[in-house]
Amino acid sequence: MIQCEGLTKHFGHFTAVDQVSFSVGKGSIFGFLGPNGSGKSTVIRMLCGILQPSDGQARIAGFDVARQSDELKGLIGYMSQKFSLYDELTATENLLFYGRLYDFRGAALRQRMDELIALAHLAPYLNRRAAVLSGGWRQRLAMACALMHKPTVLFLDEPTAGIDPVARRELWDLLFEFSGQGMTLFVTTHYMDEAERCSHVGYIYMSKLIVCGVPDHLKTLPAVNPPGARRLDVTCDHVTVGLQVLRNLPGVRSATVFGQSMHLLVEDSVSEALLTSRLAEVGIQNPDIRPIAASLEDVFVTLTAGQTVNGGAR
Amino acid sequence: MPFRGFTAILLKEFTVVFRDPTALFFMFFPPLVQIIAFGYALDNDVKHMATVVLNEDRTAESRQFLDKFKNTQTFRVVGEARSVEEMSATIRQGRAYVGVQIPPDFTRNLLAGRNAQVQVLIDGSSSTIALQALQTSLGLALRESLLTVMREAGRTEMPVEVRPQMLYNPTMKSANFFVPGVMGLALQIATVLATALSIVRERERGTLENLLVAPLSRSGLMLGKITPYLGISMTMATGIFLVARWVFGIPIRGSVSALFLAAFLYVFALLSVGLLISTWAHNHMQALQMSMALILPSVFFSGFIFPIETMPSIFQWLSTLIPATYFIELMRAIMLRGASIQDYWPNFVVLSGMALGFFAVCVLRFRRKIA
Repeated sequence: MIQCEGLTKHFGHFTAVDQVSFSVGKGSIFGFLGPNGSGKSTVIRMLCGILQPSDGQARIAGFDVARQSDELKGLIGYMSQKFSLYDELTATENLLFYGRLYDFRGAALRQRMDELIALAHLAPYLNRRAAVLSGGWRQRLAMACALMHKPTVLFLDEPTAGIDPVARRELWDLLFEFSGQGMTLFVTTHYMDEAERCSHVGYIYMSKLIVCGVPDHLKTLPAVNPPGARRLDVTCDHVTVGLQVLRNLPGVRSATVFGQSMHLLVEDSVSEALLTSRLAEVGIQNPDIRPIAASLEDVFVTLTAGQTVNGGAR
Repeated sequence: MPFRGFTAILLKEFTVVFRDPTALFFMFFPPLVQIIAFGYALDNDVKHMATVVLNEDRTAESRQFLDKFKNTQTFRVVGEARSVEEMSATIRQGRAYVGVQIPPDFTRNLLAGRNAQVQVLIDGSSSTIALQALQTSLGLALRESLLTVMREAGRTEMPVEVRPQMLYNPTMKSANFFVPGVMGLALQIATVLATALSIVRERERGTLENLLVAPLSRSGLMLGKITPYLGISMTMATGIFLVARWVFGIPIRGSVSALFLAAFLYVFALLSVGLLISTWAHNHMQALQMSMALILPSVFFSGFIFPIETMPSIFQWLSTLIPATYFIELMRAIMLRGASIQDYWPNFVVLSGMALGFFAVCVLRFRRKIA
């Protein structure tokens, strides 16, 4: 549904997006991750036809985003960062405006609005001005506006930034529903748990796409699971004390705290018995040690570290 | 499709404008205050200027002469000085603009047919006042001299007489000159700012991106943005015309429809200038600064106060680029001189050209670029 080939954007001497290529299939939920300023929003803006790419090309449903943006406008929906709405207008008036913008008139407009109000559960807030709506409700309203013309591809730029967990969960339930109906979703996010829900993920770092693919496949990449090493979960008391000890142990490549446990990447030479005895030396008894698979966070952290090393060597 | 999305933008803008009565009030209020303040405050007719006299002659003739000074209505005696020093001090301290000193031998010289001198000190720090005082006192002396010479020659009529007739503004009311100019300026500030801020606001809030993704034509967006403010500005223009007519009693001798056509073209050009600013400015602050930078020259170079004809040629050239120049000229022509559209068609053509030209540039400039 979406194909990018060598998509590049320069702002003066700064390269915001560097040779990004990927493709997104129909009906999939594509999670686009990356730190702030890495180029996520720039990619979305180019795909939506707001920004002209400096180089490379992108197609959505076969239409070139740079040259056929008029054909594309009816196909794509866009929910911008921070849920841009007209603050002085009420929820109804915001919907009315977008409805008219997409050429809905009279009964058709009313019917489409009713559908969206029901979908986003906006009924209690229709006469409130957008300025006084809380983050979650602004997000629902912005989403309803973006869905007005039943787009086949929906772009959401950080749709869950700053909203409560319930609203976040409900948004994802909706996204799965849309995906089930065949809509293609392109979502940027900072949250790893959201990335885990996506059917496909891409990770952009310092303007370059580092990795792209199905989450389960990425977790088995050799770069993430180096030969001769394995990942362990160590659950014990005083994890922060334990971390200091294990981190400095030869053969432990990385160690991070996860709540009540530690995630370690250790070489095969390091046995569970060795870890247990080291922990006992600082008074930590009976640790529960289990092998685990890599998480998406592990994938991104490992690949980003590799990228930085490569970048430094160049 | 040209003008696609026009209705949606238009209805939204109207709702937004009327949602905020404070903003609406502050669009209407300053121009009305400006016109009333300027109409009353800007007055070139200097009358009754404070004058201090020093009469060292103390005769019936000298007192008669001083009365003639007072009778011109230009001077108002606020006190008598006892010495030249006291008279100068009064002027220096700002308690009088003019000092009239009649020396002790005034009457004696006058009666003997010799040159009788009167000294007039004028505060030259305000050129308008100084000029008026100078001309009035010179005129008075000339007239007195002439009358004396005529008496001696036995003539009863002035040898030469000019009979001026002031056309279009017989009483030389300065409001008649200033108010049409103030109308141009008052309309300018509110209109340029209104549209300059309206697109910048969308840019700052991020709603502009949503508009760019939607099937909306550039001309539809621009016309939808301009139309509500056209309505508001024309209402404002009507209010200003009413104030000019009924508060300042300025006659409207030409056709009212010509007046409104001029106002419409002028306001359209200004709103387009505002839109043009908003395609450049990235935030509120820049939009405000750019608007002010454009508005200020028109205060000086539009012929509002200073006649364009007396300016150096570079400023004359600059004045031809300012919409206010054409509008103010039209207002004076239509209101005071009763000029018709035919008499002033070049001004109408230039204003129409500016309106359409600026609007076209906005539409073309507003490419899909926001970064």
